[in-house]
Amino acid sequence: MNRSLASPHQRNWDLRAAGNFVFGGTGAGLIVTAALAAASGAPFRPALAIGLLSVMLGLSLVWLEIGKPWRALNVFFHPHTSWMTRESIVAGALIPVGLIAVALASPAAVLAAALPACGFLFCQAHILRAARGIPAWRQKEIVPFVLATGLAEGSGIYLLAGEQTLPWLALALFAGLLREGAWLAYRAGLAGTPGSARSLGIFDTPAGRLARGAQLVALVVIALAALLEGFPGISLLLACTGGALAALAGWGLKALLITRAAFTRPVAVPVIPVRGSGGDPLRR
Amino acid sequence: MAAADTVKEVPSFCYNCVAGPDLMTVRVENGVATRIDPCHAAETIHPGLGRVCVKAFGLVQKTYNPHRVLTPMKRTNPRKGRGEDPGFVPISWDEALDSVVARLNDIRARGLLDEAGLPRVAATFGHGGTPQSYMGSFPAFLAAWGPIDYSFGSGQGVKCTHSEHLYGEFWHRGFTVCADTVHTRYIISCGFNGEVSGGVCAVRRHADARIRGVKRVQVEPHLSATGACSAEWLPIRPKTDPAFLLSLVHTILFEHPRSALDLPFLRDRTASPYLVGPDGYYLRDADSGTPLVWDEASGAPVPFDTDGVRPILEGRAIVAEAMTRGPDEERRPYHNVEARTAFTAMADAVSGYTPEWAAKICDIPAETIRRIAREYLDAACVGETIEIDGETLPFRPVAVTLGKTVNNGWGAYECCWARTMLATLVGALEVPGGTLGTTVRINRPHENRLMSVKPGEDGFMNANFNPTGRNSWLSKPGGRNAHRTLVPIVGNGPWAQALGPTHLAWMFAKDAPKEWPQPPLPEIWFAFRTNPAISFWNTAELSQAMARMPFIVAFAYTHDETNHMADILLPDATDLESTQLIRIGGTKFVEQHWEHSGVALRAPAIPPRGEARDFTWISTELARRAGLLERYNAALNKGAAWAPLKGEGYDFSLATDEVHDVDTIWNAVCKAATAELSSGAEVRDLDWFKQHGHYVVPFKREDWYLYPTMVRLGLRFELPYQERLLRTGEELGRRLHEHDIHWWDSQLDEYVAIPQWHDVPERWAQSVRDQGGDPDDYPLWGITTKSMQYTTGNNAGIPLMNEVAGNMRGHGAVIMNAATAARLGIKAGDRVEVRSHLSVTTGRAEPVQGCRPDTVVLPGQWDHWKTPYAKDLAFPSLNTVIPMSLPLTDATGSGSDVVRVSVRKAGAR
Amino acid sequence: MTRYVMVADLRRCVGCQTCTAACKEGNGTPPGVQWRRVLDLETGTYPNVNRVFVPVGCQHCAHPPCLEVCPSTATRQRADGIVTVDYSLCIGCSYCIMACPYDARSLVGGEAGFAFGQQPTEAEAARAEGKSLGVATKCTFCAGRIDAGTARGLVPGQDPEATPLCVNNCISGALSFGDIEDAFGPVASLLAENKSFRMHQSEGTEPGFYYIWDKGTL
Repeated sequence: MNRSLASPHQRNWDLRAAGNFVFGGTGAGLIVTAALAAASGAPFRPALAIGLLSVMLGLSLVWLEIGKPWRALNVFFHPHTSWMTRESIVAGALIPVGLIAVALASPAAVLAAALPACGFLFCQAHILRAARGIPAWRQKEIVPFVLATGLAEGSGIYLLAGEQTLPWLALALFAGLLREGAWLAYRAGLAGTPGSARSLGIFDTPAGRLARGAQLVALVVIALAALLEGFPGISLLLACTGGALAALAGWGLKALLITRAAFTRPVAVPVIPVRGSGGDPLRR
Repeated sequence: MAAADTVKEVPSFCYNCVAGPDLMTVRVENGVATRIDPCHAAETIHPGLGRVCVKAFGLVQKTYNPHRVLTPMKRTNPRKGRGEDPGFVPISWDEALDSVVARLNDIRARGLLDEAGLPRVAATFGHGGTPQSYMGSFPAFLAAWGPIDYSFGSGQGVKCTHSEHLYGEFWHRGFTVCADTVHTRYIISCGFNGEVSGGVCAVRRHADARIRGVKRVQVEPHLSATGACSAEWLPIRPKTDPAFLLSLVHTILFEHPRSALDLPFLRDRTASPYLVGPDGYYLRDADSGTPLVWDEASGAPVPFDTDGVRPILEGRAIVAEAMTRGPDEERRPYHNVEARTAFTAMADAVSGYTPEWAAKICDIPAETIRRIAREYLDAACVGETIEIDGETLPFRPVAVTLGKTVNNGWGAYECCWARTMLATLVGALEVPGGTLGTTVRINRPHENRLMSVKPGEDGFMNANFNPTGRNSWLSKPGGRNAHRTLVPIVGNGPWAQALGPTHLAWMFAKDAPKEWPQPPLPEIWFAFRTNPAISFWNTAELSQAMARMPFIVAFAYTHDETNHMADILLPDATDLESTQLIRIGGTKFVEQHWEHSGVALRAPAIPPRGEARDFTWISTELARRAGLLERYNAALNKGAAWAPLKGEGYDFSLATDEVHDVDTIWNAVCKAATAELSSGAEVRDLDWFKQHGHYVVPFKREDWYLYPTMVRLGLRFELPYQERLLRTGEELGRRLHEHDIHWWDSQLDEYVAIPQWHDVPERWAQSVRDQGGDPDDYPLWGITTKSMQYTTGNNAGIPLMNEVAGNMRGHGAVIMNAATAARLGIKAGDRVEVRSHLSVTTGRAEPVQGCRPDTVVLPGQWDHWKTPYAKDLAFPSLNTVIPMSLPLTDATGSGSDVVRVSVRKAGAR
Repeated sequence: MTRYVMVADLRRCVGCQTCTAACKEGNGTPPGVQWRRVLDLETGTYPNVNRVFVPVGCQHCAHPPCLEVCPSTATRQRADGIVTVDYSLCIGCSYCIMACPYDARSLVGGEAGFAFGQQPTEAEAARAEGKSLGVATKCTFCAGRIDAGTARGLVPGQDPEATPLCVNNCISGALSFGDIEDAFGPVASLLAENKSFRMHQSEGTEPGFYYIWDKGTL
């Protein structure tokens, strides 16, 4: 018997915090994509620059959110267990290496930046996973979802900032399908967790449906772009549209996930206290 | 937090609600009061371990509230009304007091009574007499002045357990009645919300009792906090409690053997064996007029007080010679008349109240009623005893408690009678474990209810009824609510007027009934710690009546809905700023029975803010300026400030011709009070109290119970038969009819010897019809409930209270059954209109499961439109939509917080 | 070893919020911040309904999720089990708030209002702690009182001067406090003689907050 009360939303992370997951995730995914581009000889410099800017934008948004911004460097103090510290350390490596790569346009440096970018994304996923006060984040399937959506968003943006050729369309499509799978797994996991109905309900609101719709449309449009590669003008338009939608879909889902779907853990009182003898007048 | 340079802890008390007083400590850091602490020194003497409830924690914000009125003010706009800006401007104390005194002196010159014989000066104080614990020496000023009309109520009679006050005190000196929670094992609680309004003592004792294993069955339409903490909740239909309780009496009498009852108690300590004649009055010995009983040994009727008599408890017999004493001393002789005992008369009266009958009325299954009766009897321990203070007393650990709306208005007499009878049947009245009274207010002395018991007529204790005889009835009321004229049982003590039908004063200020001269308004009305403009009913009309008062002097904390109509505002020093000594312990209201009694000081923790002044200073200045100084000081010497200053072996009297400062007055009171308590052995002065806070002496636990006193005086409880009430009612009816007054006739119906069920809820439906409405348009019952944060605490303007109350279900909302809400298309948080045939109030809907589908609950009193902070909360208030209604006023002059309503989404058609 | 724990007897609690108010006043928390509060829960369907009053706040877990996630090491755990926040280290990221399964932490920004608006009352000004703005705050088990009391040889949970304010002021006797490692102490006895549970034990947090619901042992 589990007796609980509808719990409130978390009240402390708003769109600024969500911005870190939105732009940080996209940025990291884009840097990883840029590294793949560098490895394969495709253009990578604009994508890398945008990716880095995106990560920095996300971190700036968090900086605007925290209560003591001038103490922000204290964030580095707890690498032993805190995924937020780890994310910061990784970001601390990613940004200079990435800037060097942009400056030198060095494929080797981009590959070097891809590693912390992956780490950054991994840390972001585990920041949510470790938030035991928010059942919607605590779900173990959130990790593959955050990773997959970062890649889907990054590869999507690469279609705008890099090449729109078949390999990159295939990558975006692959990442999008990966995200789709991860999302379905996340939702299924959440549905199996007691007390998650309200969180799930948020994804069924118009905003949630819009984000989901964008994700599916992105897959279709990117696939069409690949199929219509022989028609460069149309393919370019479709690729850019699909890439943008892939990113927007991830942003929307993450924004909902961080803000509106983030209900705190309900109080659980497994038993009703015995107030008086409860039926036996002479029990004492 | 920076360490405070200086920290002091100042002793004080909280008596913001009648369930106090409780002791506390005020922490003062660098001259600023920062927090309330328990009085740990009182842990061993205070039943609540020296702690205070949540309300007390509002006192710091109350003190530093930026909305306080901190200078005397006068009105500059002579027009009064809700829509008028009073144009208050600050004035000096001299100007304020002189303008009040000028009015007072003018009155004194013309006579203290007006042409109608009513006092020209009126005063209203708030809840339950608690303002007296904050008004310093003002009672001495009032005593020095002379006649004062206290009839303009602020909710008295309709917001209290009114019928219990009157009948409880009549039957067993129980102005307030409770379970002997310390010993009891089974409690039937009809709406008694003690976990919210019972104060610290009740909460602690009931919690201990739960751990001990008490079973409390909570019978109420809405699952209150008390219901939550009970073993069982029975959601009864509103105002049908009399049927439930009468059915329990029936079940015990007709479905269980007589051996389950306390037969010796019924025979020796009650009127059960008294013989009742055909006219409904006791058959009496023709010579002595003494009520007769049927003696088992001699097989003949004999006076009840005959030596060696063994009265039979029930049955019928033919009595050869007897007489009855009817109304107006009419003696009716009887020969060979059939008589029945009062017990049999009771059994006859309740014979039809089967559980099946009650189930249809109350919506409680018959089998449940049977089970409750059985459990009650099983737990009653009839025949068992317990040792208390070395005395062996009956042990009857069962009790019945009644909540507010059960206990006032129509149906309350029946409930009070049935409750007291349930106790009486098993001998559980005023014995350990049973149903107890805790204080007296109609009889004296207030400090010791046992000493208020004097032998009266017919073997019962005395009762101080107002006269109803042909020559003694007061056809011309001495107060604007005619309490002594209309309500004999309310008596003539200092509390009587405020216990009378206090809404009548407001109603008559607008429209007097036929054959009743409209009473002129008082020329000066003093108001302190009271806000009738939000705390009574039909608040809009009441405010209009208030606006017609020619001169209102309000002791003002902040601007509020009542002092909006005032002419002069006087800022008194509040709880943490002023000095006063009050009595604590003994047996007081609700569940405040202690094993100590004594006095406690409220020492000022900080100086008064702004120009606020200690109430004792204000009182002394009023007396001095009005030329009443000698009488004022004499009143102080007589004990108007809680303790006579002169007694056996001590004399701390104040010189009557001098002006004494606040500390001098309370220093004398401190010394006198301790001398009195210690029989002269110890004298503690004000400085001692400022250090130690309180002084107590032991109070015997045996003195919680009236039973030993009844045995010692050889008295009987006046139950089950109410001959005296029957006679009084008949006499009152004759008097009223002789004066062609018929508008009180339905109230006369309540004067019966044994209460009978009548369709109580139907009265509210009829009330709607009387106003031209259709009851079907108002299909729901609107009721109210209390929360500890607010009940009687004058806390509406305190943000801390609102914040913490917000953790509780239904705060500031319209509580309604979730299925009903769904049926009406109402979701949680929707704004809804609650509409009666009188008016409408709006609030946020809070659908819950713990509420009957036919009932909505509007907690608290939230009609504020002026009180800062409270006026912005937009909470609903039942007071807005309840009419003041003569047909809904019972014989005691009380009404119930109940109204038929409809509910719909705000703005919906 | 010492481990301080709180025990709430749900049979006693009446939801009066005296602990909430005493905590707010004693700790000077701003409007809306409640380190201790009592939830009013309703379960069941009419007419079979229960209401339960549940005091909540920081559970001072043996394995605090807040400590694990805190990036600045502001959140720490004392040897006696009390979980603390160092206001001078905290960056106000709120991550600990997200990690707490008990919704026990609060953070108000620098713009925190006062009871009556933007201006503090004198009492609030006397209490105001600028350093607690913009950082995570929570119940400390009144650690300052415990430390000051134990320094004087007093026993937390038994001597009021060394005991959390909520416990001192609880009018129903629902709240008890003490060292659970003291096998003969009142808290250990209370738990030994009654059935209790801890909340969200599946999270492995080992809370230092016990809820009694019946007498006897499981």
